[in-house]
Order: sequence, then C-alpha cells, then structure tokens
Amino acid sequence: MTRPAILVEHVDVRFRPFVDRKPTLRRSLANLRTRQVEEVVALDDVTFRVEKGEAFGVIGRNGAGKSTLLRVMARTLKPNTGRVVVNGRASTLLQLGVGFNPELSGARNIYLGGLSAGLRKAEVDEIFDDVVEYSGLGDAIHRPVKTYSSGMFSRLAFSVSMHLDPDILLLDEVLAVGDAEFREKSMQSMRDLLDRAGTIVFVSHALPQVADFCDRAMWLDAGRVRMIGEAKEVVDVYREYEKERRASAG
Amino acid sequence: MSSSSPASGAVGRVSRAREYLAELWRRREFAVALGLGNLKARNASTSLGLVWWVLNPLLLGAVYFLVFGIFFQRQEPLRFLVYLLSGMFPFHFTSQAMTGGANSIIQNAKLLANLRFPRLLLPISALVESLVGFVASLGVLMVILFIAGQLIPETFFTFRLAYLPLVVLIHLTFNLGLGALTARLAVPFRDLNNLIPYVNRIWLYVTPIIWPLSLLDGLSGPMRSLVQINPMYSIVGLYRSALLGTPFIGDQVVRALAWSALTVVVGVYLFVRQEGHMVRYL
Repeated sequence: MTRPAILVEHVDVRFRPFVDRKPTLRRSLANLRTRQVEEVVALDDVTFRVEKGEAFGVIGRNGAGKSTLLRVMARTLKPNTGRVVVNGRASTLLQLGVGFNPELSGARNIYLGGLSAGLRKAEVDEIFDDVVEYSGLGDAIHRPVKTYSSGMFSRLAFSVSMHLDPDILLLDEVLAVGDAEFREKSMQSMRDLLDRAGTIVFVSHALPQVADFCDRAMWLDAGRVRMIGEAKEVVDVYREYEKERRASAG
Repeated sequence: MSSSSPASGAVGRVSRAREYLAELWRRREFAVALGLGNLKARNASTSLGLVWWVLNPLLLGAVYFLVFGIFFQRQEPLRFLVYLLSGMFPFHFTSQAMTGGANSIIQNAKLLANLRFPRLLLPISALVESLVGFVASLGVLMVILFIAGQLIPETFFTFRLAYLPLVVLIHLTFNLGLGALTARLAVPFRDLNNLIPYVNRIWLYVTPIIWPLSLLDGLSGPMRSLVQINPMYSIVGLYRSALLGTPFIGDQVVRALAWSALTVVVGVYLFVRQEGHMVRYL
C-alpha cells in the first residue's frame, strides 16, 4: 500500500482544565498552593490511518473528542503524546469561513480567506474569478458579508476552500451547503476531489450522510476508538449501541 | 514531544528560528491584509472612519493642552502644543501596540484553532493596524508644525527631519516586542486587558509629554535616572529631536536602540516559545 494520506498513531490529548483553560491571575495564584493535577482526557491512544482517495467518517457522541481529533489532524493542536503524519495540503472546513471579516465585502474576504490559508496575494488573484463564479454570488460579491444570508455566506466560504485546491479536506459537520442546486454542485466537487485521489475526513452527527458518503468510518467514544470499519457497518453498530443505551437509561 | 523533534541543540534552534522567520516573511501579505482589514472593518461602522485615527490623539492632545497649557496659563502655549503633540502621538502608538497585541490572539481565536501559520503574524497584524493611524497622525503633526513654524520665529524643520524614518523604525521595533509580549501574557492572563489602561496612564505621566523637561532639574540624581530609564523617555526624545530640531542626545539614541533591541528579542522569544500551546487556552 502507498503512503497514507493521514496517519495517526497513539495520540493522546489531555487538557488540564485549571491550567489550560483561561487561568486568571486569581486561579494561578490559587494554583501555586493547591496544585491541580486532574486532567480531562480528550483523546486516548487514538490510532488509525486514512488512505488517499478515501472518504473517512468520524462519529460519536458530543464530547467524544471528534473536533479535538480534527484539530490534531489540522495540526493546530499538538497532541501530548503520539504521532500525526499528514501527506498533502490539508484544508479545513472545520469552521466555514475562517478568516472572514463580516464587515468587509465578499471580494475582500476571498483575499482574506485565501491569504489566511497560506496563499500569496498573486495566487488569490489567479483564482479570484473562479471563486466568484463558483459561488454564484454575482454582484453581491461587492457587498459586506454581514448582509449575506447564511446560505450565501457558506457558498462563498465553501467556494474559497475548494479553490485552495486541497489534497485533504477536514470537514466538521459541513458536507453540503447552500440551496439544493449548490448542494449538488458542492457534493460533485467533493466526489471529484476523491476521484483525484484526494482525501476527505468528515466529522458528523448526521449518520445517514456518513453512511452514504464515506467509505470507512471510525466511532469515537470518550476519546477512545471503539470501532473502525466500513462506514455503513460502523454507523449501524453505533446506532444499535445508542438505542440500547437510551433504552437502559430510560 | 521534545524527544521527537529531529533538530535539537543550538544548531537546531538556529535553523528552526531561520525557518520561522522565513515562513513569517512568506506570509507577510496575510498580516498586512488582516491588519488593514480589521482597520477598515473597525471604521466601517463610524461615519468618520479613518479620521478617528487622527482625531483620537488630536482630541487627547487638545484635552491636555486645555488643562496644562491654557488653565495653568503656560507661557508660549503654541510652543507647548508642539512639545505636547510630538510626544503624545508617538506615545499613543505605543499604547495602541500594547492594547492591540494583547487583543490580537484572543480576537483571532477562530483562526488559531483552524489554521496553521506563525502565530507572530497576529500581533504583527495588530501593529500594522496601529501603524496606519500613527503615520496619519504624523502627517497631521507635520501640518501643525509647519503652521507653528510660521508663527514662532524659529525653524522646526531642520535637516534632522531626515532621521524621522529611522526613529519610527526604532519605535516600531520596540512596539513589535511590546505587542508580542502583551499578546503572550494576555493569552493565559485575560486580566491583563483590564490592567493595560492603568499601565498606560501611569506610563504617560512618567514620560515627559504633558510636563516640561525642565521639571527634571528639580529632581534628585537617582530620581532623574529613574525617569530617564523609561524607554519612552528616550524614544519621545528622539522624535522631538527629529521633529522640533533639538539636537540628538547620544545617551537617548543609545538607550532607545538598546530598549528596542531588548524588547523585541525578549518579547518575540517569549511569544514564539509559547505559541504552540496558545490554542489550548482559547
């Protein structure tokens, strides 16, 4: 097998709530005396690989560590232990429209979005027309983004992300955006990406979408890998488990 | 994690620092676009827009001029005005750099969580933002100086004005270090944002801006040294030499250079050393 797109090996992420989360001066002073050692384990010995050309789903309950995992793969969060290898240009749609400034026009935001993702200004110049065209925003591109509907906003953001020409897309709860027509277009773009041996990691609560769209899936539970396998199978087992859990709880 | 880094030791550190600077330079357009974008966005909702960047220091100067120049009936109020503004505007730039730096990481938490880039770009973008306002205010100051120069039989514009860009560069370097430092400190200690206005106020009072330099003569030796060790004392002194034509003082030049070098090295070093952990605080 060739090099995987993403390799995650024995990754642990732990947060120390007192020290890591907004320690105010008062808390820090308090910490000097009573050392807080209690840790929250967000990811616990997580290991998996995602192949090129694969759509990989990550499912699990709230707080299972899905978004933390996405951040680790985007390499904005360093794991406490373990190794993460990403072969390719990762573009995250972790949050759609990162780097956008709502007070500014759509056109300016294309530049902001492109530059924040690592493009040079000259490179944004090159893709600019295509981004506008793909978004279908027309003259609205010169209006401040704060006047956009949420659909228009996500169309622009999605269009910028797709034109960054990523090898790897990291998606958090966003698979298709905009109206029916744009959804079809965005789904087609993602299928094209997979055909070009691109890779998509899709974190979602939308189980039918994961089952439909992804080749394989992983079930995270309290930071641990419960199951990795064919997407439909993992989704089914997860559903069954959740149903039982609810039944026994209620 | 330290065991997994391939380059270690002094050689590794140098090459990593080089890489970091190269990446910083490669991404410079991002810092500028972010800073200018924020500047534009901030002014988008006010009807006067960019004018506020000139108006703010000007109004601040006007208030102090009213209090200390007019009410206290200083002689030669016009001379006092140019003395006041030539100190007030640079000082305002530094206090903006402190505030902007402290806010830069927290305001851009989303960028931090989602994208990889040298984090120093964020305080730099804040600096870009305040630099635009400062350059605008220097323009206003020039006009005032020109008018004052016509009224006071003494030239303000001398050959020393040619040194102004150099003075701004020293000041900018100092502000970069200061902004990186406040950014570094504000991430774990949000309380800092409440503290900064008071620090600013005290700093303003201990710098010869609203009070004349002659006040120093009344101080004891050690007290005077204490006042003079203030980095803004030297930096404001350089501005006055360049703008008002007073001779450069060797001591001030050396001190300003030393302060800006020290601040930028310490500030950037402390910032970069911690930047990998910042996302955990947001």
